[in-house]
Amino acid sequence: MKKRAIIVGGFHKAIALSNSLIKKNYNVTVINNDYQNCLSMAEIEDVAVINGDGTKPYVLEDANAQNADIVIALTQRDDDNLVVCQLCKKKFNVSRTVSLVNDPKKTEFFYQMGIDSVVCAVNAIANIIEQQAFLKGITAFIPIGEGRISIAEVPIQGTAPVIGKKLWEIDLPKEVIIGCILRGEKSMIPRGDTRILAGDMLVLISSDNQEVAAIKELTGRS
Amino acid sequence: MKYSEVKEKNEFIVIVGCGRLGASLANTLSDEGRDVLIIDKNKDALRKLSMSYGGLALIGDGTDIDMLREAELEKATAIVVVTNNDNTNIMISQMAKNIFNKELVIARLYDPERDYVYREFEIDTISPSILSSNEIWKLLTDDEGR
Repeated sequence: MKKRAIIVGGFHKAIALSNSLIKKNYNVTVINNDYQNCLSMAEIEDVAVINGDGTKPYVLEDANAQNADIVIALTQRDDDNLVVCQLCKKKFNVSRTVSLVNDPKKTEFFYQMGIDSVVCAVNAIANIIEQQAFLKGITAFIPIGEGRISIAEVPIQGTAPVIGKKLWEIDLPKEVIIGCILRGEKSMIPRGDTRILAGDMLVLISSDNQEVAAIKELTGRS
Repeated sequence: MKYSEVKEKNEFIVIVGCGRLGASLANTLSDEGRDVLIIDKNKDALRKLSMSYGGLALIGDGTDIDMLREAELEKATAIVVVTNNDNTNIMISQMAKNIFNKELVIARLYDPERDYVYREFEIDTISPSILSSNEIWKLLTDDEGR
């Protein structure tokens, strides 16, 4: 059976998301309280559109929220998103709720309130821009755990300040570890007394967006 | 916790939203000599407070956690959330409960349909439409008795 997704609010984001969910064989229903937006979205094939306030229980009922596998709240307002997700959890027993949050300070609070995934647009965009700006020092970058943890590949060039140093001599941020060193054809799991050589490729695992600070420390770029 | 129990202590009440209800409540509480702080994001809304209002007034967004900290919600004995948006009231009440561990949280809710969201979080709700309909019902049935 096709999985069902409900997207509440958002216009451009909702369109992009519906398109990609449809490709992944989802049954998509969008709820939007702007009539013009609804008309535009109705042009997407295979999307059911409901014009109404998604924070109202009867609108969610119209959207058959009780049968939804996932509900995604994308409105502009944090409070609306919170209410949408809580209604879906408590009243309609939706197993997975995802909420956009505009105020980064509320991310933790939203998780506390039982929302399964909280995406902070401001933080996410700022992080991506920051990472792009430092992309020179990185060859591959994989965010995991909603971007809270990242795995980055950092090449060590001949001019890097850490060459010849042992790992424990390097002043890395606490939230960062060097998980692996790729040296030529070999890959090794480093220990505290492993020395870094020119030409090494380091695989960094970092949380709390500490990768930029770590890369600065390792490559000397600022 | 009943309001009468809170009254015993030297209480400090935070009100979010300076509409007609928020302002009149603030005026009454202040006249009775209680410590009150009222928050509204609109400066003009605070003009609804009476001349004799002796409490504090803060201009800012009550949904902002830092703003609530600035309002010293930690020290408050009760918080009354009466903005004109139900969802805002729900969110602020839940923040007061969960981040600030407030026991006495009272919120206004225009739409009684969402009541159970509050009930589960032990937030006391006041719904104007239900109160009004009860009152009207009372008047109507009283009339019949005469």
